[in-house]
Amino acid sequence: MITLKNASRWYGEVIGLNDVSCQVGPGLTALLGMNGAGKSTLMRLVTGQLKPTTGEVSVFGLPPFANPDVYRRLGFCPEIDNFYERSSGREFVTYMARLNGYGPAEAKRRTETSLERVGMSDRADREIAGYSKGMRQRIKLAQAILHDPDIILLDEPLNGLDPLGRRQFMDVLATLAHEGRCVMVSSHILYEVEQMTRTLLLLHRGRLLATGDLKVIRSLIDKHPQKIRLETDDPRRVAVSLAGLPNVLSLQFDPLGRALLLEVREPDSFYAALPSLVLDEGLPIHGFSSPDNDLESVFRYLVQE
Amino acid sequence: MFGVVYSYALKDFLRFSRLIAWLILGGLTFLLGAVWQRLMPGSTPSQSYGDVSTLMVFRILPLASAIFSTSVISQEVEQKTIVYLLTRTVPRPVLLLGRYAASVTVVALVSAFTAILLSVSTFHSGALGNALLWRDLGSIGLAALAYGSLFTFVSLLFNRAMLVCLLFAFGWETSVPNMPGAMGRVSLVTYVQALASHPPLGGDSKLLAFATATLSNQDVSPAIGGAVLSCVFLLGLVAAVGWFRTHEFVARDDAE
Repeated sequence: MITLKNASRWYGEVIGLNDVSCQVGPGLTALLGMNGAGKSTLMRLVTGQLKPTTGEVSVFGLPPFANPDVYRRLGFCPEIDNFYERSSGREFVTYMARLNGYGPAEAKRRTETSLERVGMSDRADREIAGYSKGMRQRIKLAQAILHDPDIILLDEPLNGLDPLGRRQFMDVLATLAHEGRCVMVSSHILYEVEQMTRTLLLLHRGRLLATGDLKVIRSLIDKHPQKIRLETDDPRRVAVSLAGLPNVLSLQFDPLGRALLLEVREPDSFYAALPSLVLDEGLPIHGFSSPDNDLESVFRYLVQE
Repeated sequence: MFGVVYSYALKDFLRFSRLIAWLILGGLTFLLGAVWQRLMPGSTPSQSYGDVSTLMVFRILPLASAIFSTSVISQEVEQKTIVYLLTRTVPRPVLLLGRYAASVTVVALVSAFTAILLSVSTFHSGALGNALLWRDLGSIGLAALAYGSLFTFVSLLFNRAMLVCLLFAFGWETSVPNMPGAMGRVSLVTYVQALASHPPLGGDSKLLAFATATLSNQDVSPAIGGAVLSCVFLLGLVAAVGWFRTHEFVARDDAE
């Protein structure tokens, strides 16, 4: 659905996106990166607000810049929090529907449907100026989905949402993706993304560092030591047993004597070997966790920070 | 689509909070028209109307045009709401033309309202029989189109375009027509005044002549005035549409 071929975008002498090539299809894809990584630039290229300086960007095989044929099938929920503050949410979404070419009756019907879908149908008659952050995010999503687009791009959509709103928002996105749409969500908060999808595009300083499933990305970093914490009453005995494993690089005792901290390579192999050790040698391990086992760590490894 | 863009933009431009300043200016023009004959002994209603119209109506028009033309696109960029407009299926030329037409409508309404009030204050019950008024209304329409297309184009070229447009509306349009020789012919107000064909300014006040941009008398016929304004309108609009269709418009400080 979305294709970038060696796409670069410069802002004067500053590079926003650097030689990015990728394809994005149906399902929920996360666009990850820190602030300034180029996420918004990529979103703007795909939504046709910007033109690539070099390379190509296409949506359904068409160049998206100022292309109504693309906008018929694409919805965009921008990061900016600006609206026509004096209009109500319902008026705003209806206006957007009219700009999509729908007549008054159809625009009204679609407005109601999309407001219902984002949980705003009973609160949309107030002026947007008085909306909470979460309500504003929902209105932005409503205008993005009112025309049943095949592609929905959301730039930092979970910013400012409370936990319940975040959960509801994620559920809506999951449903949209489950319907076969291409849903692309940008975020710099990795744990958010982890709860939504395992399909990633990882950007750093304008470059695409990695794409694909989180597991694939994880395999790229297997050579990096991963920290694992084992909860045990007898850390010294456990340490003796684990020291013989080839992928254990270091062992460290918790100062309280209640845990053992390990650094391992190829953590999947370690996790595979651990159950038999516990069963065969009766190691008193009550639990384990990995402070590195999240997207934050993946990101940190890949950008060498 | 044009109608949708036009009607929504018109509704926005006609909000009371955006019009209040123009209503006040219209009221001031009404008062000035009412006292003008007392200030200018021997001045006829036509003379008073013509003087005050040149001084107020055709000053208010470029000012209103500078402000409303920058609302066509430039204000949307500054408010960062442009993204909603540019990611819909409405073609960019239709978007620009619809909003431009709404801005011209408001500018023409504001200026015409001021001219009618002035006619009422100088001609009283015979206000609608004032031939100058009807000529002014025609001039206002064409001038609103010309200023509007020029300012809309300029607003696409510059950030903070309103400042540039206001400088043109007040600085250029006041000083250049007063310059000696044919310099006045590179200002729009010269052609607007030629089209309106007001009687020569009453009295011999140099200050008033400067303020009304009539210090240097330009011998321009109404036909030339109309032709030049029409050309500016068409060229400005074509340039604006061409530029808007092919250039990027993104809120600047969001660039990542």
